[in-house]
Order: sequence, then C-alpha cells, then structure tokens
Amino acid sequence: MKTNKLKLLLLLVLGAILLGACSGGRATLVNTWAGLSADGSNAYLASGYHVYAVDVQTGREVWRYPAETDTNIIFYANPVLTSDGQLIVGSEGNNHELISINPETGKDNWVEPFMAAKGKWVASPLVFNDTIYAPNSDGFLYILDLNGKMSADPIELGGSLWATPVTDGTYIYVTSLDHHLHIIDPINGVSINTIDLGGASPSSPVVGEDGVYVGSFASNIEFITPQGDHEVLATASNWIWGTPALDNGTLYYADLNGVLYSLDIASGSQNWNGVKPDGPVVANPLVIGDVIYFVTEEGTFLALDRDAKTIWEKEVGGKIYTTPVVSGETLLVAPYQAEFALAAYDFEGKQVWTFTPEK
Amino acid sequence: MWQTFIIQPMVNLLLWIYDILGHGPQMFGVAIILFTVIIRLITWPLNASQVKGAQAMQELQNDKEWQEIQKKYAKDREKLAQEQMRIYRERGINPFASCLPTLIQFPIIIGLYQAVIRAMAATPLDMLNLARTVYPFQNVENIIPLNSTFLWMNLGRPEGIPLPFDVSFLPNGFPLLALVVALTTYVQTKLTMPTTPPNPNDQAAAQTAAMTSSMAIYMPLMLGWFALTFPSGISVYFITSNLLGIVQYAATGRANWSNLLPGSKKNTPAKK
Repeated sequence: MKTNKLKLLLLLVLGAILLGACSGGRATLVNTWAGLSADGSNAYLASGYHVYAVDVQTGREVWRYPAETDTNIIFYANPVLTSDGQLIVGSEGNNHELISINPETGKDNWVEPFMAAKGKWVASPLVFNDTIYAPNSDGFLYILDLNGKMSADPIELGGSLWATPVTDGTYIYVTSLDHHLHIIDPINGVSINTIDLGGASPSSPVVGEDGVYVGSFASNIEFITPQGDHEVLATASNWIWGTPALDNGTLYYADLNGVLYSLDIASGSQNWNGVKPDGPVVANPLVIGDVIYFVTEEGTFLALDRDAKTIWEKEVGGKIYTTPVVSGETLLVAPYQAEFALAAYDFEGKQVWTFTPEK
Repeated sequence: MWQTFIIQPMVNLLLWIYDILGHGPQMFGVAIILFTVIIRLITWPLNASQVKGAQAMQELQNDKEWQEIQKKYAKDREKLAQEQMRIYRERGINPFASCLPTLIQFPIIIGLYQAVIRAMAATPLDMLNLARTVYPFQNVENIIPLNSTFLWMNLGRPEGIPLPFDVSFLPNGFPLLALVVALTTYVQTKLTMPTTPPNPNDQAAAQTAAMTSSMAIYMPLMLGWFALTFPSGISVYFITSNLLGIVQYAATGRANWSNLLPGSKKNTPAKK
C-alpha cells in the first residue's frame, strides 16, 4: 500500500516538475534578448544577471555589474550613457531597480537604486536637460534628477512603456504598448497630445525636422507633428518592431516578415522593392555613411548600399534582435542564444573578436 | 508538434474569445473561464466515460462472480488477473477509462499555462513569440497587448491579497485563490470517491481505494502549490474546471456528499 502511495506521490511530483519546467525558468534564465550600448572605449552589454563592460579593442571583459550574481536582478534594457558620465540601466526583478553605474569602474553611482517603479524596466531612459525620463512597464514615466531621486511626480501614460523616449529639443515623445504615442511638455510635466497608432508600439520614434516618425504593430509608418497632427506615410507587410532610421530624407525600416524598406519621405515612394533577407527583422537599422546595416532573426548581419545592393553578409549565429551599435571603427552585434554574447566586426565585415562571459 | 497542436490553437482560441468579448478590462479572465468551459465540453464524453467507468468498477465490487473469483484465485494472482480481464471484456468495462481524463488534464494544464504566458507577453521575446503564434486570419493588432486585470488579480502573475505586514513565505500576500483551488480540488476528488468500502479479498480494489484516498490529499496540495507559484490565470482555469467537474458529477446523482465531512470512514479500505 505504501508503495502505491509513493508511486502516486512521485507521479504528482513529476507533474509538478514538468509544469515547472515549462515556465521558461523566468527566475533563473533570461527570457529575452540583451541590451547593448557603447562609448569610444567600451561596449556595455546588459545580459542576464550582469551588465558587462567589454573593451572594444580586445573584446576582454573590463568589469561586470554586479560583481557577484544576484538572481533578483535581470538586465536586458539597453544601458544609457549620460553626458555627466553615468551608465543608467533598468532591471527586471523583484525590486524593479533603475541603477546608475560608473562606466569606468563598474561601481554604483547612486547612494541607492531607484526602486519606486512597480514594473520591469524594458526601456532605457532618456536624459534631457539634466533630467532622467524613465518609462516603465507599469505605464508611468518617472522623472528623476541625475542622482536618481524623483524630481517631479511621475506621469501616468498607461499601457506598458517599452521604448526609450525621444526629444526634439522641446517636447518628449513616448510610445506605449497601449497603441498610443504621447507628446509630453517637459516643463509642465504633462502630456499635451496623445495619438492612437492603431497598434502597439514597442519602439521609439525617430525625430525628423517637423515631427517624428514611428512604426507600430498596425504595420504603418506614421508621421506625427508636435501639435498632434498625424498621417500614415507607408505600410509594411507585417508588424514593424524596430525604430526606423532617418538619413538624408529617407526612412529605412523593416518588418516581421523580414521585408526591408527604404522610403523617400518627400515623394512618399518606396526606393526598394522585394528586398527580403533570410528572416524577420526586429532590431533597428543602423546607417553609417552610405551603408545601411540590418540584422535578422536568422543570425545574419548584412550591409547594404542605398540601392539595396548587398555589400557583405555575415552569419553571426544565434538569433539577432538587439540593434547593432558602432564604437569608432567597430560594429558590435549581440546575438541571442549564440555561442558568444557579443561580436565585433570591422566595416569590411570581418569578425574581429567575440566575447563570452566567464562564469 | 506541441507548439502546433497544443499551444497555437489554445492561444488563438483564447485571443478569439477575448476579442469577441470586446477585449476590455476583466475580459481576459472571462475568456479563460469560457475557454475552460469549451475544454470541458470537448472532454465531456471522456469525463462521462470516467464517471461511468468508475461506477461500473464500483458496482463490480458487489458482483457475486467478481467476489467469487477473488476468493477462488486469492493465491494465484496470474489466474486472478486473467479472470478479471475476462469479466471486464464480457461486461464491456475498460478499467483504464477512469484514468484517461486525468491524464488528458495534464497536457491541457501545461498547454494552458504556456498559452496564458504566451498571450500575456510580458517580455519582448514573449511578444515576438506571440506574433508567431497568432493565425494569419486573426487580426490581433487591435487587442494586443491583452488587459491582464481580472477582479483584484493580474492574470500574468501569481495571485495574492496584500497583507499589512510582511510574511517571508508569502511574497505575493494572502493566497486566497490558491486556497480556493485546493478546496475545490479536494471537494471534486472526495465527491468521486466510492461510497462503499472495497471487498477485503479484492487486493486490486483495496489498492485503488488507497490511491484514491491519497489523491484526495496530494492533488489539492499540488494544485494549490501550482496556484501559489504560477500566474493566476491558471488558478482561474483550475477553479472553473473543478466547479464544472463537481457539477458534472453531481448531475449523475452519484456524488458522495457525505465524504466531504471530516472523519467520514466510508471510503476507508478495509484492513485485512
């Protein structure tokens, strides 16, 4: 009889383990892709339990934050460098910490992290006029001074805020997953206009001369003025995830079908037709000089000229969702679920080094 | 395979229900309840065969021929098994019919768990996976992201009512839903227990009774723990499913309500 009870108990425990195993292991595993930024000397990779500073010349780890693994903190938002020498990064975890790190030493800058937000930090903050505008997935835009203290009441925008705000020098533009773009007057700390995009927007707008351009899950590229006037400039074949790149009157963007677009803003016509590499594109395009760089979910890093002609194409490995960044003459790519966490390429597409964090 | 046949249909069904409900506040919880009702309706014949099978097995305990072979082949287990199988065959009883619905519950629970997590899309990767999961004919741009609020809960997170003081082992507060899950599971399990003790000569029946008795303890504890740990959307499924199970069993007129009373010995297997 005892044997039967034991068998039953084991069966139930097995069921529990099975269900637990299906959880994606959120508490122990990073469930999304890494954040990445860089200055002239280091790349800053927010990946899992740590933010890593990696020397862009050698690919060696300079420091990691925190020095000891703390399973209550998980990083994947892009770290942001401020003009006063801070590296600000938010975390997912029990305390929803927004942290300021000294980029030279990897030590805490603030007396204590900012922990008043109720949701995880998916977006990076905007630093504008010595003020930190930090959008949180709890739907609030938190306003802090450079010491990490709240300098004004947070602005409730609603939905989940996953994208870094941008500014045209006067207003702040914040997108939300609740389908809206909010235009904020930073002086009065109020939202002056809210525009319905028709779909969630997980990415930032890009600032143009008279307004901003933004993509959304409604598969549209919209142009929006500070007064709240807006129009659909172009459509895509699927959801637009990344922020478009604006260069010389042309908007470069891509969609989840993997179609790449080059939109001439003045005429409203598409310069490219049927340009479709090997997989969906989530990351923002990167424009340097006359070269447009895209990364795909299939792990491909490609450089195109303005006529969509492939200059080079590299198989990085893993899946690439993180927007590549440039540091001096080095292009940095952070693949997800690859053999390494970060790779550096020169402008000719030659891999210079890879970085895998030591355990 | 799992993705195509379990997760994807479940996510799309959930999103479809949520969409026709108007995708407002509270509606994802309502969608989970309706989803559970649909799943229960689909598995109704299986559950009915479970009830029927359990009843047939119970009636067999009082059958003279069954009792005779227990006595006659008490020392020859192989022969006893052969005779039992013969009786099962002759009377059209499937001894495993009562296990099947329970086994089917597990992939549904795991699938629903993954579907809720997928639909809630709490991280960018979850959102990307959700985009992949949605069937092309579903226009979900309007409804994504889902509104996860239901009553006092966030369906994407474990439930708990905030307490005025910190309790280290209850990080989410007072686990009301986990208690309701455990209670309804207990009630459902107890109701389906046999009203009569097994024949003392029938070892297999005695073992089954002992296992059923253990289930009444372990199942509420396990599902209660699931409710404590996993997103509260799963708890909504458990409670709805349990209540429907109770109603379905009660409708047969065989529910053993006296089993719910503490100290009831009716189902205790007889000692040899």
